[in-house]
Amino acid sequence: MTDTAQRIECQWCHAQSLATARSCQTCGAPLDIKNLVSDSGWREAPRLRDMTEIQFGNSTCQVEGEIVPVADISLGAGDAVFFEHHVLLWKDEAVGMSVMSTPGGAKRALGGMPFVVSVATGPGRIAFSRDATGEMVVLPLHPSMELDVREHAFLAASHTITYSFVRMKGLNNILHGGGGMYMDRFVTTGAPGLLLLHGYGNVFERSLGAGESILVEPGAFLYKDSTVTMDVEQLKLKTGGISGLLGRGGMYLARMTGPGRVGIQSMYVHHSTD
Amino acid sequence: MTVTDQSGAPTSYTCPWCRMSSTGAATTCPSCGAPVDVQLRTTDSGWTQLPAIPDMAKIQFGQSSCQIEGLYVPAADLDLAAGERVYFSHHNLLWQDPSVSLSTMSLKGAWNRMMAGLPLIMLEATGPGHLAVSRDAPGEVVAIPLQAGNAVDVRENHFLVATSNVGYDWLDSGVWFTTSGSGGGARREGAGMKLLKMGLDAALEGSLDIGGDTGGGGGGETEWHYPLGRYLDRFVASERPGLVLMHAAGNAFVRNLGPDETILVKPPAFLFKDPTVRFQLHVEYPAAGMKFWRSWGNRYLWVRLWGPGRVALQSSYERLEDPGSDFTGTSGHTEYRW
Repeated sequence: MTDTAQRIECQWCHAQSLATARSCQTCGAPLDIKNLVSDSGWREAPRLRDMTEIQFGNSTCQVEGEIVPVADISLGAGDAVFFEHHVLLWKDEAVGMSVMSTPGGAKRALGGMPFVVSVATGPGRIAFSRDATGEMVVLPLHPSMELDVREHAFLAASHTITYSFVRMKGLNNILHGGGGMYMDRFVTTGAPGLLLLHGYGNVFERSLGAGESILVEPGAFLYKDSTVTMDVEQLKLKTGGISGLLGRGGMYLARMTGPGRVGIQSMYVHHSTD
Repeated sequence: MTVTDQSGAPTSYTCPWCRMSSTGAATTCPSCGAPVDVQLRTTDSGWTQLPAIPDMAKIQFGQSSCQIEGLYVPAADLDLAAGERVYFSHHNLLWQDPSVSLSTMSLKGAWNRMMAGLPLIMLEATGPGHLAVSRDAPGEVVAIPLQAGNAVDVRENHFLVATSNVGYDWLDSGVWFTTSGSGGGARREGAGMKLLKMGLDAALEGSLDIGGDTGGGGGGETEWHYPLGRYLDRFVASERPGLVLMHAAGNAFVRNLGPDETILVKPPAFLFKDPTVRFQLHVEYPAAGMKFWRSWGNRYLWVRLWGPGRVALQSSYERLEDPGSDFTGTSGHTEYRW
């Protein structure tokens, strides 16, 4: 039978949904609400309707709540998601739990505890949320994609995604100084995957053209395509002798250069791993 | 009477929130971003709720503009014209175009602000280009357009960004009280000791906020408490009109006090006021049998505001630090025993 149904493209993830759908089946973005874009080119992450459902693999994720949204995932048999254990909210007893071995993971510590990525395997339900006001950002990854995310910003990712992390030396929020921060890297190869992030406050995304660059306060950085380069740039300030107040060596910003997407969050909450 | 705006164009609309005139043709007030068609929501008790600036609303200032983006933690995205300048506290910065140049503003006594536990470094940004600032708590952006000759006093740590033609200064909030560290409580005995220790813990925590000049809690040393913050930020538009943006934690409410009209406000909820409004500490003790219960934490700290002028509150506030022990000194206070 030929499928003749009309389809429309989602302006957030570019997946196609039936023309009758109100929300994108792949990322949950409302299809009947216009994009909010600022003069400077930032687009607000789509505000997901309460109880929106998203399909991935044989599983479904329902996004519940609006101020501190919850990802309530119904895992199909054999599907799995991975996450940091402190985002757990509740689960069915049947959902199997295991731990992912991460490269060099033993060296990384969160609040004095070893940094561990947990894995939940279906069938069954499991739900995740973070600890402060914010928005859930749904990023479906097509095959052969690579995305870099600020540490501890991801809520959950499907098992078809490969996880690793890199340390960004010299990059940290001006309020906290320090030697740098980690960036999580999510890679898809053959199969698509679903990545859920939690951005504190509001989340904005902008596409940078090739060679186009922007300076971002490290506390605001949320995610980027791996094609976007990120360099630490010392702000050249005429300091008049008070540069010491900004900590060792002054104020640092991240220079992001396109091509690719950059996502930022409007509220800064610090969870650091050493 | 024909009213004209700064550019000489006829205007017919006066924003009920900021009182600036405009044509009223836009959906939001170009001076403060409040919706044009808004019916002011005033409570029975006389507080007017700040109309939330709609997502992506624009505010004009000089040749530049500002777009307010987001709902939970809104960011102010400024489009600076060439040569136009704004200033902000350095940790508010979200992102900027490489074309925007930043420099530090020299402030008299900035070192003192640092000593008071506030990392206060003002950065001045010069256009052309975009730059965005935000705070780190859910709430609203509040825009205060200032006519030439007007000023506004803002609770410290709530300032977001201001145009460079607005002068910035700070003054002592003038509301404080002191308590004694362990010395004051050591005279109490028996069952009082547990309460004393609880009080001490609170006092020690409180001393962290106060900074280096107290020498920490305990040991009978005097502890200083500043229910309104130690300083107030004052923004003055002396010769030309200007714009001040601040961040209200939660929702913001404003009311006008008539001459000598007063109201009692929980100190951490205070957000901003006209300079004509004065304030003083007020303490109430509930009706209770024992003096003991009166003096140990069982009291209500207020700030009394006197008109004439505007006062504004925020609905989400930090914990009020009150060790509960007797005052050893105050900036002047009144009290009432029920």
